[in-house]
Amino acid sequence: MRKITLFLLSSLLFSMTMYAGGYQVRLQGNKQNGMGLVGTSLNMGSSSIFYNPGALSLMKDKLHFELGASGIMSNVDFQRAGSNENYQTDNPMSTPFYVYGAGKINDMIAVGVGVYTPYGSTSKWDDDWTGKLLIQNIALKAIFVQPTISFNFNEKFGIGAGFILAMGDVEINKALNYSGDAEANLKGSTTSYGFNIGAFYKASEKLAFGVDYRSEIMMKMEGGDATFTVPSALQTTIPKANKFDAELPLPANLDFSVSYQATEQLLLAFELDWVMWGTYKSLDFTFEEQGALLNSTNPREYKDTFIPRIGAQYSLNDQFQLRAGMYYDQSPTNEKYFTPETVSLNTFAYTLGLSYSPIEKLSIDVSFLQLFGQTAEKEYTPSNFKGTYQTIVYIPGIGVSFKF
Amino acid sequence: MKIRYLFYLALLAFIVSCKPEVNEFTPSNGSADFKTYVALGNSLTAGYADGALYTSGQSYSWANILGQQLTTVGGQPFVQPVVTSEFGVLPGKRKLGFSVDCLGVTSLGPVLDNGELDPWSNHIDYAVNNMGVPGAKVAHLLAPGYGNAANLQAGLANPYFVKFAASPDISVVAQAMSMSPTFFSLWIGNNDVLGYATSGGAGDVITPTEQFGQYYNMLAQTLVTGGAKGVLANIPSITNAAFFTTIPYNVIAIPDSMQYAVDFLNASYAPYNAAMEQMGKLYRIHFELGPNPMVIMDPGMEGVPAQLQFRQMTSNELALLTLPQDSIKCATWGSGVPVPNQYILTEAEIDNITAATIAFNNIIKQTADVNGLAFVDFNAIMVDISANGLIFDGITFSTKFVTGNLFSLDGIHLTPQGNALVANYFIDAINAQYTAQIPKVSVANYPPIVFP
Repeated sequence: MRKITLFLLSSLLFSMTMYAGGYQVRLQGNKQNGMGLVGTSLNMGSSSIFYNPGALSLMKDKLHFELGASGIMSNVDFQRAGSNENYQTDNPMSTPFYVYGAGKINDMIAVGVGVYTPYGSTSKWDDDWTGKLLIQNIALKAIFVQPTISFNFNEKFGIGAGFILAMGDVEINKALNYSGDAEANLKGSTTSYGFNIGAFYKASEKLAFGVDYRSEIMMKMEGGDATFTVPSALQTTIPKANKFDAELPLPANLDFSVSYQATEQLLLAFELDWVMWGTYKSLDFTFEEQGALLNSTNPREYKDTFIPRIGAQYSLNDQFQLRAGMYYDQSPTNEKYFTPETVSLNTFAYTLGLSYSPIEKLSIDVSFLQLFGQTAEKEYTPSNFKGTYQTIVYIPGIGVSFKF
Repeated sequence: MKIRYLFYLALLAFIVSCKPEVNEFTPSNGSADFKTYVALGNSLTAGYADGALYTSGQSYSWANILGQQLTTVGGQPFVQPVVTSEFGVLPGKRKLGFSVDCLGVTSLGPVLDNGELDPWSNHIDYAVNNMGVPGAKVAHLLAPGYGNAANLQAGLANPYFVKFAASPDISVVAQAMSMSPTFFSLWIGNNDVLGYATSGGAGDVITPTEQFGQYYNMLAQTLVTGGAKGVLANIPSITNAAFFTTIPYNVIAIPDSMQYAVDFLNASYAPYNAAMEQMGKLYRIHFELGPNPMVIMDPGMEGVPAQLQFRQMTSNELALLTLPQDSIKCATWGSGVPVPNQYILTEAEIDNITAATIAFNNIIKQTADVNGLAFVDFNAIMVDISANGLIFDGITFSTKFVTGNLFSLDGIHLTPQGNALVANYFIDAINAQYTAQIPKVSVANYPPIVFP
């Protein structure tokens, strides 16, 4: 059964829709999703592989499995500066997913493996929209596989580390300012590596602290396929088939978190995530042929962001748990370099969650998030492209966890 | 517990139905009334492009673009005197195509686009808002009979106005006033210098400033009599147009393998140089390997006998796009044979154009100020684009021919994207003067130059 589900999940189109915070997608556990995406100071079982490998060796169960997915439904509305022309994205629903399995080898050591999708961005604008020369479509996908080991010194303090194998691919379409629906299509894939380390400290029965660091991963695209559709008279200057190199950083994250069991039923948790977007300076394309004409440097100049999160979980009884949370996700974008390829606005979000355990070993976890991107006028100065953006995103999610 | 789920799902469905909506801009007419807008002007207003006034080019005239935008702030539909042929009213339309030059080399460039023209008998009987008349000067808009076919022979009428003149002896401005305009645009004066400029200073004269001022004021005074508001635009620095900047002054390139040609030319011009020295003139003709200035005719050379009125061009002078390239390549124009004056603007001619443009533009600005009309400074805009280029919506504009996106294949008139840009400048000026909110257009939604 698990295998079949796993297969189904991995065969889903797992491209993700941008929603605030650049192209990071932090939906790696439906329990955490319900609590404002707080996770580093929680010990929810095998999803600690992502949130905090340090907590894994302190999990209550001998064996723990989780899998789930979310459906991101996002809409962007854009209004040109000085105009009443509006343009909407027609983004397909995207479905980030996660699968974790972990087991304790002994009281001190636990191992596990996770497959999850922490970065992605899908924007589908109309082919004829006003920003077509900047972007028509972008689909950026990354899938991470993370074998993990965790070790605890005592029943209070655990550390853990995971090796990340990152596989990514990207496809970009943009129009060119030539007659006859001229356009460029860029397509490439790559594999890269990184790591995830964390420490978890359970100061008392009520209080727990967590810190987790996930390294930056540079996705280097080499020899990607570039296809240029231009009028035939221009095909000697702009060859139809070309190769390109580009690189896109998946930024490092440093998360600090604390959780407090206020009453027997009520768990409160806070987190501050430091996302090191400052690494994303520019998106550069280098072409194998006609480089002098086609190569481009596109400044992004992102800045680091800090995301405060708050979440709560209320245990109704042995079968039901309710969750809620909220967070404020700052846009990492630069005032001068805001592009419609990643519509990342300052975003407020609330989250809801519910778990139901029909039997002790099984929990069905659902979550729901709604994100509100603050309406803001933005500009990409190198193209002199200006207008006002607004986003609303809904993300229902469902997952199951088994423990033995 | 099932009820709880149902409630949850219902809530979800309710929330999901909301969509983002940006509503930052409300069109408004401000203190102007845009109900009946008439556009007066020349070929730029008419939508002339690629050397012709043809159906699709006309549909992208900036006046039509502005007229469409005005319908969002109370404007009635903007009607143009529709040309029914994609090849124009008169022959001369250009398209990009391949042609073989006198050396047998095939290259991409503007070639004639011939086809069935707009039938001459096709007189337009409906009222039109776009009264841009290709070729019109400031005086022409006031001239009765400018649309009378009987006057064509004498050169007192304009075939484009003949097509839509409401009656044979009406003037353009009288026909405009018959529409009872509440708003007008007047972009006229370019031809008062351009006719001189495009003939290399040889085929036309610049309108005397005093006359220009008199006619321009008459026009403006007539247009505002009914209380109409309006926008005036000045004359761009036309010598920055691709028509004048595409062919370099030093187009005579002698390859390294042809030292003999250099020697031959220098020997041939030795008597000329000697004669100039004898006359105490500084004119010298000298060739070397690499690029060389063209030898041109210049009847303005004072104190030089007519048979010696030629010299090498300077970097401050301009060659016109109409200069036949084959004559340079194969008939020794510019080296063995001086280029005729009509293809060159000399420094003196450029000075005349610049002085007239400044004088006319002062009059236009003054008229705008005195009458409280909106004003677009296309002269400054063109100078700026020529020096710095302009990027808008990801499109790079420059004054370069074909690749600059601004000028159509005649090097003077605008591309559809250039027209959209110009319409936005008009909108900016009108919005500023009348505290209106006319929405601007998306330049990227207009077509670029068509490549084969």
